[in-house]
Amino acid sequence: MNSTIDQLKNKRLLWQASQVSGAHKTLSSGFDSLDAYLEGGLPEQGVVDISSPIGIGELRLLLPSFVLRQQNSQKLLVFIGAPARLNAPMLVKMGFELSRILIIEPKNAKEALWSTEQCLKSGCCDGVFLWHQGLEVHQAKRLQFAAETGEALSVVLRQQQPISFSLPVALALELAPCPEGIQVTVTKRKGGSHSQPFTVNMAQAWPSLTRQPKSSNIVPLPRVHSLTG
Amino acid sequence: MQPLWLYLHFPNLQLDSYHTLGPSRARPNEQLEPAQDGVETPVVILDMQHGIVQLNQAARFAGIKPYMSLGTAAALHGGLQVVPFNPEIEKQQLSMIAHRLYMVVCDICFFSEQGLLLRVDNMLRLYGGLLQLWNIIQTQLAPLNVEFSFATGSSPLAAKLLALKKWDHITDDPKLMKQALKQVDLTFTELSQKDITKLNSVGVSTVEQLFAIPFSDLHKRFDTQVITYLGQLRGDFKHPVDFFHPAQRFEQYIEFLYEIERSDLLLQPMHKVLSNLENFLLLRDELTQELSITLYQRDKENIEFVVGAQQGEYRAKDWLGLLALKLDNLILNAPIVGLQLNVKNTFVRSPDKHDLFLGKQGAISRLQLISLLQAKLGDDALFSPMTVNDYRPERASQYCCALTVNEQNPIYRPPLRPSFLLPEPSLLTQHVSIVHGPERISTGWWDHHPVVRDYFIATSEQGQWFWVFKTPDNKWFLQGIFS
Repeated sequence: MNSTIDQLKNKRLLWQASQVSGAHKTLSSGFDSLDAYLEGGLPEQGVVDISSPIGIGELRLLLPSFVLRQQNSQKLLVFIGAPARLNAPMLVKMGFELSRILIIEPKNAKEALWSTEQCLKSGCCDGVFLWHQGLEVHQAKRLQFAAETGEALSVVLRQQQPISFSLPVALALELAPCPEGIQVTVTKRKGGSHSQPFTVNMAQAWPSLTRQPKSSNIVPLPRVHSLTG
Repeated sequence: MQPLWLYLHFPNLQLDSYHTLGPSRARPNEQLEPAQDGVETPVVILDMQHGIVQLNQAARFAGIKPYMSLGTAAALHGGLQVVPFNPEIEKQQLSMIAHRLYMVVCDICFFSEQGLLLRVDNMLRLYGGLLQLWNIIQTQLAPLNVEFSFATGSSPLAAKLLALKKWDHITDDPKLMKQALKQVDLTFTELSQKDITKLNSVGVSTVEQLFAIPFSDLHKRFDTQVITYLGQLRGDFKHPVDFFHPAQRFEQYIEFLYEIERSDLLLQPMHKVLSNLENFLLLRDELTQELSITLYQRDKENIEFVVGAQQGEYRAKDWLGLLALKLDNLILNAPIVGLQLNVKNTFVRSPDKHDLFLGKQGAISRLQLISLLQAKLGDDALFSPMTVNDYRPERASQYCCALTVNEQNPIYRPPLRPSFLLPEPSLLTQHVSIVHGPERISTGWWDHHPVVRDYFIATSEQGQWFWVFKTPDNKWFLQGIFS
């Protein structure tokens, strides 16, 4: 009986409350409601597993934390295998410094994982976004280890439905669309517990990209851009 | 100040090369059998024309003498090892010695096939005396384990003559040198055999006797070559010499002893070449950003590729790591028979600057990371985003070379823009409902890429936020995604 528990502990499938006291530093995500559920915010280093459809606000939820990170350090932010071309004006608008953003377009998933590991453990990147559809346990472990070595945070985004087994990551979130912002479910958190789905309201940060209950009948004037600006 | 020359004569360059190289580095066909029972095997170097030209101590004990014929030598010792004379090896050895000595003496000349001439009078002030300089030269030569004889002279030819005679004295006293020179037999000089016989027949057999004869008298009987030689030997005539300059660029070609068919096996010989490069760069305190490598394939075109390290590296270990990544992607069509490494540009290393207040620094720097990724993924996989002042969204955002963004604040600050742009706007195929808009962009008529579009922010039924536009002919396109 005891040995079974030991085995599980060795495989890091089992945690004791004493092991995971406030050791994990967190960084604010920029959204108070999310920070409250995560008890502080996104982890400072490690791997965050995100399962989300494209275009529901997943980057808008995660990027503010990385703007903060970029302001605090001189390190790079890396995007690996993005599903489409990243739009530079949006990055500028969010507050990123483009000279410290690196975009990698690998030819296949293997190269994407390799680049992620190299970037994470290099120690000169503090955030790595990876779009990867089928991360396996040993790959997640390697990325987690690399992230700890290089003190970086890696976000792995996938569109698939959540996989049955849990990856050895610091945090796993499931995102779903929601008119007021985005619906978040914490599926795994080191030193924490699952959560019920909750909504992160983005009406303040992204008023144009949320649908509020219509309170007035104001019709916005069309904007026209032409040569005269 | 009187010019002072030092001549080093290496009589057994080829034979010595087998010791300096060691058995592991010598080519197998020239590898000598290890000594048995602590007794050295007699080894001789055989020249087709002159018979035995170099021999080791054991061969001497066996009674073999220089210029003996092979038959006689073989009769004297049954287990004699014979190696053919190869002037190429001697040349390489001499060049290697010159490179070593260049670290301590600036003026070196390849004076003959077996000797180096060093100009020492201008080095004395640096080292504080002739003996100190000689000690340093000796320490440079000691690890090479080569046999040499040496002498100083007031003219290049005098130094050479004394060294050939194995005078083995280092002095800057002109009297001593002159004294020694006078006793040298004429047979050691570079005079032709015919001239020596002529001189001997009139009773002149040493340099002293020859010097006693006035030039004008000699001129009547001997040609100008003899006069020039004598004048240069005495130091009366100028003797121009070409000094050696070590190569500015690193180039090395190695031919494999066997053909290599797998790219991972190439790393072994590459490491050898890279170690040489490391020494070359380390001595100059330089770095290089680019190596050009040519692999010679048997009966096929050569493979040429370039490996870059943006930060500049000199260590063999770092270069080998980058090369290993490059070789991973390399497809060999035929066995590789040779390898050439060229380094074009080097630059002086500047000390690494670390900001004390930046906290913990990473294991490698940004540029090193870029080089690492480029070596594996190729040059066309790394980008940085860049903004351009243009109303057309596809032009406003561009990808440029990694980390070369020259950030400038855009004059035109667009309203809300999506995080992803599709490479090409695609026809809108799904049902969406418009949330915001329109935002009209009508521009570009002057550069043949006119754009007239009404942009809208729309949501799909799945709750995704899209950036769509309508053209004047009422076609709807999807261009961006608000992730």
